[in-house]
Amino acid sequence: MKKRNLSMILSVVLACSVLGGCGGSDSGAVSSTTSETTAAEEGTGNTEETDDSAGDISGKTFALVTKSAGNPYNEKTAEGFQEVIESAGGTCIVKHPEQATADAQVSVIQSLISQGVDSISIAGNDENALQAALEEAMAAGIKVSCLDSKVNADSRQTFVNQAGNQEIGQALMDAVLDICGGEGQWAILSATSQATNQNAWIEAMKSAMTEEKYAKLELVEVAYGDDEPQKSTDQTQALLEKYPDLKVICAPTTVGINAAAKVLQDKGSSVKLTGLGLPSEMKEYIGDDNEHSCPYMYLWNPIEVGRLGAYTAMALVDESITGAVDDTFTAGDLGDYTIVEAADGGTEIILGAPYKFDSSNIDEWAAIY
Amino acid sequence: MAGKSGRNISAEPQNSLKNTVFSWEGILVLIFIAVNVFCAFLSPNYKITNILREMPKYLAEIFIMFPMVYVLVMGDIDISVGSIVCLSATLACMASNAGVPLLVVLPLCLAIATICGLINGLILTKFQELPAMIVTLATQIVFRGIAEIALGSGGSISLSSTKDFKILAGKIGPVPYVFILVAIIAVVFALILARTSFGRKLYAIGSNSETARYSGIHVQKIRLIIYTLTGFMAGVCAVFLTSVLYGANTTTGSGFEMDVIAMAVFGGVSTAGGKGKMIGAVISAFIITCLRIGLGLINVNSQIILIILGALLIIAVLLPNIAALINNMKKMAAKRAA
Repeated sequence: MKKRNLSMILSVVLACSVLGGCGGSDSGAVSSTTSETTAAEEGTGNTEETDDSAGDISGKTFALVTKSAGNPYNEKTAEGFQEVIESAGGTCIVKHPEQATADAQVSVIQSLISQGVDSISIAGNDENALQAALEEAMAAGIKVSCLDSKVNADSRQTFVNQAGNQEIGQALMDAVLDICGGEGQWAILSATSQATNQNAWIEAMKSAMTEEKYAKLELVEVAYGDDEPQKSTDQTQALLEKYPDLKVICAPTTVGINAAAKVLQDKGSSVKLTGLGLPSEMKEYIGDDNEHSCPYMYLWNPIEVGRLGAYTAMALVDESITGAVDDTFTAGDLGDYTIVEAADGGTEIILGAPYKFDSSNIDEWAAIY
Repeated sequence: MAGKSGRNISAEPQNSLKNTVFSWEGILVLIFIAVNVFCAFLSPNYKITNILREMPKYLAEIFIMFPMVYVLVMGDIDISVGSIVCLSATLACMASNAGVPLLVVLPLCLAIATICGLINGLILTKFQELPAMIVTLATQIVFRGIAEIALGSGGSISLSSTKDFKILAGKIGPVPYVFILVAIIAVVFALILARTSFGRKLYAIGSNSETARYSGIHVQKIRLIIYTLTGFMAGVCAVFLTSVLYGANTTTGSGFEMDVIAMAVFGGVSTAGGKGKMIGAVISAFIITCLRIGLGLINVNSQIILIILGALLIIAVLLPNIAALINNMKKMAAKRAA
């Protein structure tokens, strides 16, 4: 009897504490400003405001959701994003999901909805799995845009694409053709199998390959390194063992190309490497001679992707664009951009063409990013 | 009738206030209250509506915790549950995309999951010398492998029409269906464990399975039932997870088994078997969920949240040992003084 009464009393106390704690009026408000300031590192002194963001941006909160944690490419993007938002006087929250999966990103998005942010810019881990969460965000009045790796057309207002998928695919295919000497076997070392950007570029490469001049090239395998250094290393070694006649590995992911470069160079292998890589990581592997595993590679500036993403988010929040085709806006010192139609039925903004890094310019760029 | 120590059986109070409050479950209630107050203090966004919005994803995991407590109380373990979730979610999505109506997809998903649980149970009961950890480790890999084959090269599948599964994600007022279902199932599982002879048999098997067998308890039959039940609940989890994520991929459900075992152990269930109460596991599940949601709201790095949860778990496991150590030292001191 006694224990049952006690349990009832405890349950009531429990329920009351949850409800009471959630009221959190005055004390809650005071501590929230302190916690938001510490969490968001608000830029104080230099509030240079760009033309299109006038007084509207200060006080708005912009969230960036990356693909995973601990990835230098994502961190560079976040740097660019944060710099632009804070110099415009807004508050920036950068969140990395627990794992590089869509599930983890759904939790992050829901947490951001609860926090009532004004804009979410996300690099999607899966094209479709985030739709429910992002639609809920848009219904709550949050502007949703994506960058780097897109989500499907219904889940976003627009997409900041670093370079046209066709252009990337074409540039990489030409690189493979050139390094192979016109014929031979080659393989792709990708990141995770669901990542939208990876699949888009692989598709672009495959469709570019149908042309006559690539007829003598044979794509033997698409391996997935999951953007993990150890797994990418293991996959590279597996490729080397499985295909003794392999000539080129193309790794359209910075983690993959870094891992593969190390494996190839350490082994002194005759297999060459190209793909998308960060100059600072790839500096010691880029060279024209036999000692270096990578003759040249491509990328774009991830800091600029972040900055363009930030300008887009700000333009959406102050409603100077709605994400529809033919909207134009000024992205600070990056110039004017026009929104164009994307292949999946939504809209996108293209940053520019992919940039080639080889032995002549690698030193200069490695110092920058 | 006093024994050598001078105390008799009636001198030890059984259900005293002190025993209840300072039992592990009582401490968990206090920790739950403390966590909620702490989180509410951290952020004004820690409101019931926001908590209930973020809960369904975590609540789906809790479905697996209920049978896992039974498994742990028996002294066994099952680490294949995450993969069972993945497999059933994948096949449910494929069936739904093929136009099968929801009322058929749901039993199908549950059936597949139950069969996976049955496979676990059959292997373990027919080959009793195999340790449960190894067998379920193997089936974990096999089930996820089958799911990966079914998913093909894309590695993921999305529901082409979400309106079917959206029904499951519905709410009554601000309270999601999942929450109500979890509450009901929690009560059912807790009552079975604490109040029925079936529950007592589980404790008996966990304490000493040989003795239990000699006492006439059908150990292997009960193990089979529990593993099948675990499979079934993994199916329930898969259904509700799909209603939140509208799809499945190769990483669906990964890590669930560890999360769930952590919740159970933090709740006082011993992995050695024979100890622990369902109520403890339920409270600890909510502590962990609320802590995750609360810390997420102030944008604490998710890696740091994992470190905090891991540290809590270590403390939870160490505390009874430390308490026993202190008690022993006290007794030794008392004996020496006497």
